[in-house]
Amino acid sequence: MPLYLCNTKRDQLDGQAKQRIAHDITQIHCDVTGAPAKFVHVMFFEDAAHLPLEGKALRVRGSIRKGRSDDQKARIAAAIRSSLARHGKVVTEQADAVIQETPASWVLEGGEIMPEPGEEAAWLEAQAARGQAPAGR
Amino acid sequence: MINCLCVIQSGQSADQRRKQLTQAMNEFAVSRLGDTLAINWLPVSAGNGFTEGKPSSSSVVSLTAREPLDQAQREILLRELVQLWTAHTGSSDHEIVAVIADPTQH
Repeated sequence: MPLYLCNTKRDQLDGQAKQRIAHDITQIHCDVTGAPAKFVHVMFFEDAAHLPLEGKALRVRGSIRKGRSDDQKARIAAAIRSSLARHGKVVTEQADAVIQETPASWVLEGGEIMPEPGEEAAWLEAQAARGQAPAGR
Repeated sequence: MINCLCVIQSGQSADQRRKQLTQAMNEFAVSRLGDTLAINWLPVSAGNGFTEGKPSSSSVVSLTAREPLDQAQREILLRELVQLWTAHTGSSDHEIVAVIADPTQH
């Protein structure tokens, strides 16, 4: 967590574009929130019925830990829309990003309940003390 | 029915063992949450999953409880859910993100 699920029209993005968007989203999330990059998951789908495009060519649904300000969420969504449009080669109006919040206490990742925003360092130290690396490492 | 979303890596163990996972998760849901699951499987094709901007093998299982849970109960259930998942897929608990939400949020 955060988890960013990106749905697109078929063949909207090639592999390089997906890599760049995944990099951008990771950077955007970390820059805005200060969260560690290793927390950030980005997954891509095409015409996934469970992730409605709402008339757009590309749409991201981001689930982030609860506790960020409205301004932070708006900045994340706007920057993601720009990245989608740039790498998806569409006008910004054809790209969308929505941000949902989930309490950290509802999420188990790396074998532990996720830390509250701002408490990541202690969580990571505890993980290191257990001799374990978080997901994706 | 309890809504459940499973984001899995296409062609990997969780994908190959959907039938067993479905049965095990339904047994878990009935015994621990009081109802069966309506599971939406969302496979991630190879090269389409990233963690820290790098290729990732992470899976996500997310469900919404019928009733609000206290945190001690939620943590026990989350650990059981992850243990169930690792036992059936061979994945480590570092490859799984598990969420049990209260019904008020979703």
